[in-house]
Amino acid sequence: MNKKGIIIGVVVLAVIAGIAASFSSSSSESVNLDMERMHGTISTAMGSPILGDPDAPITIVEFGDYQCHQCYNWFHNTKPAITRDYLDTGKANLVFVDMAFLGRDSPKAAQASYCAEDQEMYWEYHEVLYNYQEDKIDGGWANTERLKAFALSLGLDMELFESCLDSGKYSKRVQYNTQQAREHGVRGTPGFFIVGPDGQQQIGGAQPFSVFKQILDQMI
Amino acid sequence: MVQTIKFVFSNFKYIGLSFAIFIPMLIGLLILSEYIFYEPYLVSHLPEGTEFGFALIVIISFLSALVIPMNIYRINILKSSKQKMSGGVFGSIIGAAAGACSCGPVGFAVISTFGSVGATATAFLTNYEIPIRIFAIAILAITYYTTVKSLKLECKINS
Repeated sequence: MNKKGIIIGVVVLAVIAGIAASFSSSSSESVNLDMERMHGTISTAMGSPILGDPDAPITIVEFGDYQCHQCYNWFHNTKPAITRDYLDTGKANLVFVDMAFLGRDSPKAAQASYCAEDQEMYWEYHEVLYNYQEDKIDGGWANTERLKAFALSLGLDMELFESCLDSGKYSKRVQYNTQQAREHGVRGTPGFFIVGPDGQQQIGGAQPFSVFKQILDQMI
Repeated sequence: MVQTIKFVFSNFKYIGLSFAIFIPMLIGLLILSEYIFYEPYLVSHLPEGTEFGFALIVIISFLSALVIPMNIYRINILKSSKQKMSGGVFGSIIGAAAGACSCGPVGFAVISTFGSVGATATAFLTNYEIPIRIFAIAILAITYYTTVKSLKLECKINS
């Protein structure tokens, strides 16, 4: 009986050790997704991490493409004021969902942002992409080599980042997000949904801060 | 040149035609290029760094509104050939197409409909938006010059 108990104990310990080892080896590349996450009618489960207070009453869902110059305009002209007045004050939060349709480098850039998320640097990488966006679609600024160079400049673990990007780990995630955009009638980037407690409102294009302010203030 | 413009636009029909080209073209291009939004509110917006593109749209609309009525005048009144008319229309279309695609609804529709071919065309029109618009302005300017020259000859206008 004692012998049997020892054997069972060893087997149980081996199983626990095995599970622990498999978790520790994959933790650096784990996908941190909340598959139930919805904002209004939009599934943002495969989108970005939430920027701002997750408990904020309003969520701004942005559908964007890293090669879209209007997204660049919005990022530089409108987003800073939204961050200052709504995200930093806890009145709203923001989720970025890819609508990667403009060129062959668009899906790759979106995938790279999720590879950065694996190392908890999603928003830093997102910012780098919009800061270094160049005029030409598929002009090389967002090719695989440049995407890796951006990761290097952020001090990411390059071995992990490269294996993630080269394997196409997040290609389905980006496709899913682009499909979400189509299903919700987004016909260009950037496209927004302001999701509040009483419903959601769509905004198309890189509209000025005044438009967002008017809608957000009505919802608060 | 001023005499020729006065000569054509002394007929109010051509002033009306000019406005009928200028206003819809300007507003249409400003909406497509996202300088004007009409949903959820009517609002105009000139983001930093896009001033030059805005100026080119205004120039293209103005030149189209000048050149196309002058050519229609030539065809209607002087029964001239329609050859020069095509220059004005061609310049207007090229100027309108440049940048109209990009990441907006037109680009999305083109890419969704034509796939990779559409994406290539859209990328080209977006990447070379400013040079294409300058090219369109050059076509319209040349058409304007040749139209004025031929009107001077055909109508014997003293400049």
